[in-house]
Amino acid sequence: MINQILLGLSTGAMYSLVAIGLVMMYKVSGVMNFAYGNMGMFITYIIWWLSSSVGLNLYFSIILGIIMAAMMGVFVERFALRPIRHLSHASMLIVTFGILMILEGLAVEIWGTEYKSFPELVSGSPFVLKGNFGILVLRKQDILIFSVLAIISVAIALFTKFTKFGIAVRAVSENEEVSGYIGINVGNVLGFSWAFGVAMSALVGVIAAPKVFVSPTMLTFYQIQGFTAAVLGGFETFTGAVFGGLILGILEKIVGNYISEGFKASISLVIIILVLVFFPSGLFGRRIRRRA
Amino acid sequence: MLLKSMRGEFLMTADIKDITIKDLNVWYGPVHAVKDVELFVPAGSITTILGANGAGKSSTLKAIAGDIRYTGTIMIGNESINTLPVYKRVRNGIVLCPEGRGVFYQMTVKENLLAGAYTNKNTNFDLVFSIFPFLKDRLNQIAGTLSGGEQQMLAIARSLMANPKYLMLDEPSLGLAPIVIQKIVEVIKQINESLKITIILVEQNTSVALSIAHYGYVLENGRIALSGKSSELIGNPIVQEKYLGGVKK
Repeated sequence: MINQILLGLSTGAMYSLVAIGLVMMYKVSGVMNFAYGNMGMFITYIIWWLSSSVGLNLYFSIILGIIMAAMMGVFVERFALRPIRHLSHASMLIVTFGILMILEGLAVEIWGTEYKSFPELVSGSPFVLKGNFGILVLRKQDILIFSVLAIISVAIALFTKFTKFGIAVRAVSENEEVSGYIGINVGNVLGFSWAFGVAMSALVGVIAAPKVFVSPTMLTFYQIQGFTAAVLGGFETFTGAVFGGLILGILEKIVGNYISEGFKASISLVIIILVLVFFPSGLFGRRIRRRA
Repeated sequence: MLLKSMRGEFLMTADIKDITIKDLNVWYGPVHAVKDVELFVPAGSITTILGANGAGKSSTLKAIAGDIRYTGTIMIGNESINTLPVYKRVRNGIVLCPEGRGVFYQMTVKENLLAGAYTNKNTNFDLVFSIFPFLKDRLNQIAGTLSGGEQQMLAIARSLMANPKYLMLDEPSLGLAPIVIQKIVEVIKQINESLKITIILVEQNTSVALSIAHYGYVLENGRIALSGKSSELIGNPIVQEKYLGGVKK
């Protein structure tokens, strides 16, 4: 049981990472980015190509890829979304759908549909802990995922609480118009949120790639689960995204283990519906405290 | 006086100039909201823009802030600021405190003030504390839980953190009790007199606005119907009839 929960936490942490990126983009720009997974997929392909065909060092390729991801985010926000910002959120949503298809088509066109293997970032035998709770198996990959999630969560918490730009990010997510009136360059903040979001997607792609292989649909499932995690957490707070992901991971593992592996995916959709019915602002959604 | 001595560190450059607006026109699609408005706001004055709902007051302010498209010329001193986007106008000292307060509800009072100081290296709260002492004890309170009057004062305080030379206040008395309005009026006077900040005040509460303003403009359907010193406007029979409820002498 305890090992099941640990495995669940490990997949859940991946969903949390996906959800953090989605929430950042949604909070600030108000757009649900449907191309999120495919942006990460495309960058992962580039990283794979840089390291296997061009022959660059793997870690150097990853850093290069994540920088490219951030640039991709800025570029898409600036040139594809901002010009139609004044129209409606629905039109921006459609644009992200378009990007989703373009990237998938491009990936198939350039690299084909066969799965490419991606090297493990960390490898080695797992740590085995024995105690009165039984035997606990801790894989090195799990440790990597947990530490990435921990570092990013702490970094976001410090950033949004204690830096001037972080406070500006929160200001824009609450009220874009007023943020402009006090001198915040709203465009920069929008660009930042997309740079961060797409970089997160690329990071998820790199971490997931050894397991799911590099393919045009490699992150589709992660995107859906990340979206579920974000909804579970209320879609507004990073705390919600982190815990939403972890809870979803554990739930999924338990359902897969004790009910049926086939129900794993559908259970998440049932969860979305239930959460939206009973907790419209998510399990961790902030009730907006405000006096008239 | 305390405030005067502090102004040196708060306002690094004290070169306050007149604001001149020529041929200002604003359209919202087919709606012509502001028509050929000409305004002159003398440096260091309180100038009020009066008028009924939909007369074009807020649109005029938003044009000066650079938040909406307009035609015409807005000048500070002799320099046009037409090409500057909103956030760069703030760096030139033009700050709008919007209608309906617009504090960041989910952030604390302190974070609201820090957000206001975004363009300003100096994040010293002493000046706003000297004007709004109650904020000192509320720094960690979530802004959404403040009362309406407190939120309005926080909104003004946040604007002051941006180091304005020209402060535009859009209906600061909206929805507030008379006693709170009185407090805000005193604050506006204090900001103008002690900090030497030019104030453009948009109000529907005509008697309050004219009681503190030096100059006034009356907008009707997007055009300037009347203008002059506020003492003259108070005595004007049209203003009395339409905006002061026909008070008889």
